[in-house]
Amino acid sequence: MALGHGPRAEGILGDLFEEHAAHAQRSPARAAMWYWMQAVRLSGRALATGMVHRRRARDVPHLPAPRGDVFMRTIGLEIRHACRAILQRPALSAVLILTLALALGANAAIFSMIDALVLRPYTMPDVDRIVLLSHTRDDSIDRRETVSPADFLDWKKQADVFERLAAYEWWDANLVGRDEPERVAGFFVSADFLPAIGVQPALGRNFTKEEETVGAHRRVILSHGLWQRRFAGDPALVGRTVQIDGAQYEVIGIAPKNFDFPLGAEIWGALAFNAETAANRRSRYLTVIGRLAPGRTLEDAKAQMAVINERLTADHPDTNRGFNARVYTLAQGMLDVGLGPILSLWQASAIFVLLIAGANVANLLLARGAERQREMAVRLAIGASRIRIVRELLIESTIVSLASVPVALAIAWVSLDALRNSMPAKVVRFVAGWNELNVDLRLFAFTAALAFVTAMVFGLVPAIQSARPRLSESLKDGGRSTTGGSRVRLRRALVIAEMALALPLLVASGLSALSVHRFLNGPQGYNPDGVLSMSIVLGDGAYPDEGARRRFAQDLVANMREIPGVQVAAAVNIPPAVGSNSSRQIEIDGRPNPDPANPPSVAYRVATPGIFDTLGIPIRTGRSFTDADREGAQPVAVVSESLAKRYWPNEDPIGRRIKVGTGQYMTVIGVCGDIIHDWFISRNVPTLYRPFAQAPVGYMAALVRTSGDPASIAPDARRAIRAVDPAQPVFDVLTLRTLLYERTLGLRYAAAIMSIFGTLALMLAIVGVYGVMAYFVTQRTHEIGVRMALGATARDVVRLTVGQAGRLTAIGVGLGLLLSFALGRLIEAGLLGAATSDVRLTAALAAVLILAALAAGYIPARRAAAIDPVVALRAE
Amino acid sequence: MFEQIVLLAILRLGDDAYAIPMRQEIEERTGRSVARGALYTALERLEAKQFVVSRMSAPLPERGGRSRRYYAVTPAGLDAIKSARHSLLQLWQGLEGTLER
Repeated sequence: MALGHGPRAEGILGDLFEEHAAHAQRSPARAAMWYWMQAVRLSGRALATGMVHRRRARDVPHLPAPRGDVFMRTIGLEIRHACRAILQRPALSAVLILTLALALGANAAIFSMIDALVLRPYTMPDVDRIVLLSHTRDDSIDRRETVSPADFLDWKKQADVFERLAAYEWWDANLVGRDEPERVAGFFVSADFLPAIGVQPALGRNFTKEEETVGAHRRVILSHGLWQRRFAGDPALVGRTVQIDGAQYEVIGIAPKNFDFPLGAEIWGALAFNAETAANRRSRYLTVIGRLAPGRTLEDAKAQMAVINERLTADHPDTNRGFNARVYTLAQGMLDVGLGPILSLWQASAIFVLLIAGANVANLLLARGAERQREMAVRLAIGASRIRIVRELLIESTIVSLASVPVALAIAWVSLDALRNSMPAKVVRFVAGWNELNVDLRLFAFTAALAFVTAMVFGLVPAIQSARPRLSESLKDGGRSTTGGSRVRLRRALVIAEMALALPLLVASGLSALSVHRFLNGPQGYNPDGVLSMSIVLGDGAYPDEGARRRFAQDLVANMREIPGVQVAAAVNIPPAVGSNSSRQIEIDGRPNPDPANPPSVAYRVATPGIFDTLGIPIRTGRSFTDADREGAQPVAVVSESLAKRYWPNEDPIGRRIKVGTGQYMTVIGVCGDIIHDWFISRNVPTLYRPFAQAPVGYMAALVRTSGDPASIAPDARRAIRAVDPAQPVFDVLTLRTLLYERTLGLRYAAAIMSIFGTLALMLAIVGVYGVMAYFVTQRTHEIGVRMALGATARDVVRLTVGQAGRLTAIGVGLGLLLSFALGRLIEAGLLGAATSDVRLTAALAAVLILAALAAGYIPARRAAAIDPVVALRAE
Repeated sequence: MFEQIVLLAILRLGDDAYAIPMRQEIEERTGRSVARGALYTALERLEAKQFVVSRMSAPLPERGGRSRRYYAVTPAGLDAIKSARHSLLQLWQGLEGTLER
């Protein structure tokens, strides 16, 4: 292998074989170990000395082959020299490589996530020609809002920078096929949608302009996956009809394999407007995408849209004032608002870890430089140039860091694989690019570049230091290095920096772990135990009006109450912890809004009477809903404590009146406790509850509270729903506990990743302290000997050494606290407010870091205390 | 110096002079352990200086079908070792008394 071929290799290999056989006769296990040791040693030597190369020039053994130019020969020689120096200290080199690999691996994994999720989440052809258009409000430019049909149609008419402009709208399609009804993720899309993305149906055709009108719109295109799964890939399906939402839809095409834009769509219907919706500027529910016309740029589009928007604002001031029209690239526009902050938090953490690792590497290189002071002095004395020595040391650290790249990529690959596999499919659907997470050439290039930069940055100072030994002193026989000097100061500064960087990471990981714990186990305002939740979306076909929906909910609750073991049952538009929300703008009777354009908004829940009992939400004053609060009766509402406090401070809210949008006034009949709707919505969100019968909606969760295990009654609950409507699909049949747990997935991910960073940082910082203190003790053996000879006790010596470690730690932790407060903001943004800075936690983690550092200083201190003064002095 | 030791080991081993017994011979006689690599390097150097020659034996089953590489000292090698011995003895002369003391 390393030896190549030929009689020389044959001789050596034969010798090894023969010796191995001799060893094997005595003990096979020992022989195997011997074999590997020889193999490693030989290949290492071959690499280091370039035997393979030298053998070709055997005829002139003492002269390097006079080939190539002088520069390349010198570099080649230096590389060989560096390799030899690395192999001479295998343990140190292994520690260096491992330290760097851990840090580089973390960076590579995070980079890969950013690359796949943020930079290139979409893999369509010409993806940079596809843009996303949205409205933003003047006061929150970052929040992208969907667009009203009338605005979309005006944009389409007036803008010529786009070759195509298309809109789409969410559609939960209830598909009734040959077996169980199923809810399918779908979108209503305009005819230009597929052409704008540059996709052709694999089978059949695209929608036509004519199909964009109500009446002609019942056509669908199915995804390849859905077609295979539900219809066994039957090509004759195109042209036939399927039943969706209680109506007949004609299948006109099948999408190409793996096409699932947007958000894992499985079915696309025709987006149709009638005269009324086409003129609607108030309901903003369309997502607009476009394809830039040839030769036009994103900047052109932005400029033109700004002009169009100004015109529309002037024409329709009551609806369009305060809105801007913005154009984004697809990747930028589709980016989840939460993803950016959390990924930047992770990237910042990863870079912190890299900095700590780099500081460790610099530290180890400095220590090694001290050991090699004599070697460097000799080389300088006999005429080596400093530049050459610096260059050689840099080559050495570059080789070490490049050697860590494969290890780092392996670490990244393993962690990305774990990340990918642990994410449930229904979440992955919302994260475009998640399935693209992988180790690829870009990642390799990124990691190698990062490794190179790290080597240069953290190798340079130690290299310069090493090339500057005090010649006369180092050359003196037994010349001992002194404790002062810039080298030692530098090492101390590095340890302080490590501490200062490690603490914020520890705090960040502690905070995320704490917030997950708090969210999962803290008070929710309701009782999540013993409740089963099932989601239902009523189709417009089967349930066209409020009466039908009202009847469905009534029958549903009545049927579920009959199930043995069920205590109470209810239906609500949005159950807790599902990640969606519904809110309405309100108006309080007798108190006109100070800013009519910007009325206050509250969380909005529509529920059947049993909701408060089912969820275990306490009624503070007044009463809950009853069956008497029906259609036609006096409109009523229950408000949460926080809503009551905000709008009727120091007043009794019962009997007051409140209005939603342009609806009727409702009388407040009760005040209930606040609940946490979702982890990123902070506590005490003002919430308004209305009786389902007075405001029926088409989507709901059926909730049942049982005395036993809620999961066990799922089949009965499904049967109860089927008894109301056999064609009605049910999805997300889960206990509320599971829902809560699944909902925190992202948060738990964040916490787990932050904990890994925190642990890495702690470990590396401890290694750093240990390294410096161990070096300190070795360098001062003589001095400690003198002290002990003059009467210092072992305790004094321990105090001296641990005191040193303590001082470094104190400064580092002090700086770290400052950094923690700065990073705290980033953490709060990254976790969307779920975590807030916690002084006690920060203090506790600082204490952990200090104790760990002192422990790391104590081990060398014990060693120092065990120094025999006689031996230490004689070592001179 | 090491090259001299290797030359002497080859001479002592005669027909059986290949790397394994050479190492054993040197270790036994001098009490010092010999790195495998050092031995191979020394042999290569000696061969380059034409102080030794090597030949490959027939393939042997106990070596996994590989050949042994046997070394023999050339006349030039013999001259070199002789002159080295001569120089050393010259230097030793008259020192016995000092060293025995």
